[in-house]
Amino acid sequence: MTSTVTPRGPGVPAVPPGQPVPPVPPEEPRGPRSGLAWLLELPGNAIRNITKSAATTPGRFSLIATGLIVLSLLVGLLGTVSVQNRANTIDDLIDHREPLAAAAQEVFRSLSDADATAASAFLSTGSEPPELRERYELDIAKAGVALARAASDSGGSEAARQVEILSQQMPVYTGLVETARSNNRQGFPAGAAYLREASELMRAKILPAAQELYEIDTERLVEEQDDAAGVPWLIALLVLGLLGALIAAQIHLKRKTNRVFNVGLVVATVAVGIAVLWTAVAITVQSVLVGSGSGDGTEQSDLLVRARIAALQARADETLTLVARGGGEAYQEEFDELFGQLAGPDGNSGLLAEAASSTEGLDSAGHVDSAITHATAWREAHEQVRELDGTGDYDAAVALAIDASDEQSAAAAFNRLDQELAAAIESGRQVFVDDTTNGSRALTLLAPGFAVLAVIAALGTTLGFRDRLREYR
Amino acid sequence: MKHRTRLGVALSTFALLVAGCGSPGKPVDPAPVGSVERPQPANAALENDVQGGGTADQSCNPTASLSPNGSIPSGSTMDEIRERGHLSVGVDQNTFLFGFRNPTSGALEGFDIDIAREVAREIFGDPNAVQFRAITSAQRIPALQNGDVDIVVRTFSITCERLEDISFSTVYYVAGQKVLVGVNSDVEGIGDLGGKRVCAAKESTSLKNIAAADPAPVPISVDDWSDCLVMLQQGQVDAVSTDDTILAGMAEQDPTVKIVGERFTDELYGIGVPKENEDMVRFVNAVLDRVRGGAWQQSYNRWLLERLGPASPPSPDYQ
Repeated sequence: MTSTVTPRGPGVPAVPPGQPVPPVPPEEPRGPRSGLAWLLELPGNAIRNITKSAATTPGRFSLIATGLIVLSLLVGLLGTVSVQNRANTIDDLIDHREPLAAAAQEVFRSLSDADATAASAFLSTGSEPPELRERYELDIAKAGVALARAASDSGGSEAARQVEILSQQMPVYTGLVETARSNNRQGFPAGAAYLREASELMRAKILPAAQELYEIDTERLVEEQDDAAGVPWLIALLVLGLLGALIAAQIHLKRKTNRVFNVGLVVATVAVGIAVLWTAVAITVQSVLVGSGSGDGTEQSDLLVRARIAALQARADETLTLVARGGGEAYQEEFDELFGQLAGPDGNSGLLAEAASSTEGLDSAGHVDSAITHATAWREAHEQVRELDGTGDYDAAVALAIDASDEQSAAAAFNRLDQELAAAIESGRQVFVDDTTNGSRALTLLAPGFAVLAVIAALGTTLGFRDRLREYR
Repeated sequence: MKHRTRLGVALSTFALLVAGCGSPGKPVDPAPVGSVERPQPANAALENDVQGGGTADQSCNPTASLSPNGSIPSGSTMDEIRERGHLSVGVDQNTFLFGFRNPTSGALEGFDIDIAREVAREIFGDPNAVQFRAITSAQRIPALQNGDVDIVVRTFSITCERLEDISFSTVYYVAGQKVLVGVNSDVEGIGDLGGKRVCAAKESTSLKNIAAADPAPVPISVDDWSDCLVMLQQGQVDAVSTDDTILAGMAEQDPTVKIVGERFTDELYGIGVPKENEDMVRFVNAVLDRVRGGAWQQSYNRWLLERLGPASPPSPDYQ
């Protein structure tokens, strides 16, 4: 406080320019005690007044009427807001949450693919095969765009941290790969060393961050789906309470006035009844649809995404085993482990079998079945590759591993598997979009409808009690 | 004007009172990144505690090998290899000129590779009946002990410490340790590297020699020699110190580095053989005897003559 103006209490308006500063008005003689006491007595007085008026029938009627009107409007307000929130949550699932999880998945997938492709490109001899170069470039471009999307809402420090790691390290990775390329072109083994450094960066830092980001976003998606598919207990309680109160009021009126029907209250009860039924049906339909969008869509996609990533990483291991040329036991062990996750040690379990049993009857079932066939073919090709490498025929092993034009090669089988999994994932996402959109449609007009019905209930109550109260004048 | 000032003062006082007298804070830093962690080759590490003596250990006569015997009796190690159909050799695929993968052809090439092919030629009559297994410096002894490979031909210095675990052939090449630095560096030898970061492969004699140097450099170890070149190019180490042969291969790949100083060790390259396979040691020595007759010079001229000057094969020494 460096200001030098006359001290002035807060809230006192600034004096217009040119006017002399008025003196501070003296404190009113009323002590603080009397004001406080008046405040403290307020609720007591109110209760006394209410009990006094409740002792008479008209007094009780106006109390009941006020209570019902306030309750109707309150339920109307809370219900409308809560239904609108729910509708917003569902729209957010489609417009925002799911695309975000898909973007994170794309980052993870394209980077894994870039790693596997760079290793394949290294194994191929002569000038760099253009299709592998294009694939790598496409992967990097996709990863960049998907990362920008995923970064657009990385709320929560953990997700933001992963995005930071990714956006810091991706340019470093591509720089190393390009250095490796230029060394390779000159025939220098330093190129291989740069590629190993790039792969190490990818596997030790970038892919774990991408995986973490994908898991965070998927978890958020599932949480929000659960929220949107849950039972809205608050509205249920309030609206049923209102209905009960209206019925009780009518029974009370009937006893006091000997009239069976009170038109106003009947209208109010019917309005609330309609609100109960409408809400119950709409929310049930919506919950079921959002639930199936989650169960048949998102969960299947997540399972298939995990299968696809495991396949991609196993593919990178397959090529890196050959790059290491005899020194790649660690990669081979990782391949076996990842392939075990993918298809089980026997080829009939693992993520793919899980996906097959849970997609039964869904559109993606066909893709998953073909994926299992291709995984088996890949496994066979891989074993042949290992056998060729083991018996010293390195060149034939490399050819069988990376030559995608040979239908029997590991590369071709892997590519077919990857395509089927991509199609199955897309199909799962479509189920999500379809079901969730339909779920959102079930809530159409419910929020304004709820508000209108609550107002009708309040008006009905007013009219109903006004007639009765008039009789006492 | 005066009124205006008073109004301004009054308003700012009011604003201060409303804001609760807090300071306005600083603008947010949009990129709170202080330093960048550089990418490193896999398994690159700072070596604080290098065990064992390097080439300086003279507790034995490392050059004396078993006398040569080029026959392949049935039941011998060579006979088993012949049955299998290929010779399994542990080599390097990252050291330019000695053992490296030619990125254009995908084939392994270099001086060590030529020597390995000569051994296969002797057993099978076919220099291509070889299964090359790329191993790191640190894997050389375990690969022999586990029987993963029949022999190791990989810039493998014979030392007394290693002779306790495996056997060596006669010496087929004599190299010596030097220092590789950036072309603008004023380092003139190992003596100028005190406190500086110097790179070498794990479990190599070079690493031990660096650790033993005075004043002591800071040894950084990596899996493969080419990882050292990468770290030097990225400015993560100040120098690489190892055999002049390996350094020559690095200098060949980068015009902005230079080899400095005199050889301060003698590295005697031998072919590593599992300790129990004495017949194989004798057989390999017979091969080397033949190689010294012509193939050696041919291969030397192809890979090393230009970079290291004329040389002739070292003469063998037997027990």
